[in-house]
Amino acid sequence: MTALTLSHLIVHRGVCPVVDDVSLTIAPGESVGLIGPNGAGKTTLFRAILGLQARQGESSLAKLSARERAKTAAWMPQTREIAWPVAVETLVMLGRIPHLAGGRRPGAEDHAAVSRALSVMDLHGFKDRPATELSGGEQTRVLIARLLAQETPIILADEPIAGLDPAHQITTMQKFASIAASGKTVLTALHDLGLAARYCSRLLLMDKGRIIADGPPKDVLTVANMREVFGISAHIAQTEDGFLFLPLEVAR
Amino acid sequence: MRLTLLLPGLAALVALLFWVSLLVGPAGFGLGESLRALISGEGEAVTLVMREIRLPRAILAVMVGVSLGLSGAALQGFLRNPLAEPGLIGISSSAALGAVIALQTGFATAFALALPVSALTGALVSVLLLLLLAGPRGGSLTLILAGIAISALAAAFLSLVLNLSPNPFAVSETVFWMLGSLADRSFDHVAIALPLMAVGWLLLFSTARGLDALTLGQDAAETMGIHLGRLRLRLVAGVAASVGAATAVAGAIGFVGLVVPHILRPFVGGRPGALLPASLLGGTAMVLAADIAVRLILPDRDLKLGVLMAIVGAPLFLHLIYKTRRAMA
Repeated sequence: MTALTLSHLIVHRGVCPVVDDVSLTIAPGESVGLIGPNGAGKTTLFRAILGLQARQGESSLAKLSARERAKTAAWMPQTREIAWPVAVETLVMLGRIPHLAGGRRPGAEDHAAVSRALSVMDLHGFKDRPATELSGGEQTRVLIARLLAQETPIILADEPIAGLDPAHQITTMQKFASIAASGKTVLTALHDLGLAARYCSRLLLMDKGRIIADGPPKDVLTVANMREVFGISAHIAQTEDGFLFLPLEVAR
Repeated sequence: MRLTLLLPGLAALVALLFWVSLLVGPAGFGLGESLRALISGEGEAVTLVMREIRLPRAILAVMVGVSLGLSGAALQGFLRNPLAEPGLIGISSSAALGAVIALQTGFATAFALALPVSALTGALVSVLLLLLLAGPRGGSLTLILAGIAISALAAAFLSLVLNLSPNPFAVSETVFWMLGSLADRSFDHVAIALPLMAVGWLLLFSTARGLDALTLGQDAAETMGIHLGRLRLRLVAGVAASVGAATAVAGAIGFVGLVVPHILRPFVGGRPGALLPASLLGGTAMVLAADIAVRLILPDRDLKLGVLMAIVGAPLFLHLIYKTRRAMA
């Protein structure tokens, strides 16, 4: 059970604050979506949370040693990078590196973790294929499997479902929700507000480096917030299928 | 699976080439005679040739091959670029510059190992400069740029030294040294290079897991607990120690560090960490084979190892590029 705590986190690029005084706590059990327009500072916020970025203020993760942090939090960066034609299974096994101290070889536990991650992402049929030969969406699923195989109490993912087909978008969001429900902490940056509305228990709305709304989807995805931050109008409805959100048109 | 066959196979090839390397030379002894002399010391002249000329030469070929193969694989893994090679970060050209200055000033004749010591000094200066230029974070782009700048600078000074040389004899000696060779080396060369190379090899092997993690990019690797700054330091120090020492005793030998990892990558399933031991053995086999070939092709003309390697290596590399292009189409 590990919460993520940020207090007065600030990142400057030149004189401009890219992340501006962010303080919040994400408790275990929450699946939190980070939404905001391009350039709002979402990726920079992730990097600052993880301590990869020069910053002021505090993040509970950035305080840990590199090895401890790797066992506490897994991160999927937005840039999908697979440098070599390694087999899918080998690539997912890279997620076990933090658990393999001092050059130890992967054991039964590691293989089990990899196998679970491959099942969740529907990849068992691909496991011997070179990852670089797969399609973009399939590669994304492989990288999500790597993230899951790390089996950390905190999961951070930067636009994990961009480029996936609808079925895999939904399975991935459901998986993140169920991981959170099992007592872990999940924070994902998303651009699909409809999926964010349905599968996140809490949303953070970020604009110009500040968190300007924080709460359950129905309190964050309001007509006023959407017009002010994204410049769009939206159809918002509470139906028997749950809370629905559909962007309509640019309102500026 | 394939890996379990690859490493023993390569090791057997290296052992075979090592024996052949001991048996090839202008003195033309019989097979049994040479081996008896090597092991039990029978026959004075044969023993001298075997123990003082051919054995150190074969051992140096192994050491140079290990250094080049391992450095090439580690650099390609770190830079995530199959075109990287030990020469890229300027270590070999700086070591060559050190050696050339020694040859031109006459310092090379001051004592027996003055030449390799000067080359090592050149390598050391370039590493310090490289780390200073590349900055404190573990980025790979700044490392490449700094390396290219240092290579260019070393090449410029090398030309300057040759340009201003008052002595044509020294110029030709220098040019021949730069072509790279393992002929006429002794156990003194083994003794000066081995400790440094061994440290370099250990450093390079310690990067294996970090290189695997880097497959997913710098940010992902860092969040998997890899300290990029330290990884880069170990890599640069490892390449400098092993390739610096190799250049110091054998001159500049190209293409091994470029071609060998490229050939072996598909056999280890692309994983950079698994490529290290394979490339080590592959590099050794390639240098041993080339050093045997220079003695067989033109036995009485002292064909230089570096020249042969480039003549064989460049077309081989072209062939690999052609194959890669077809695979991508």
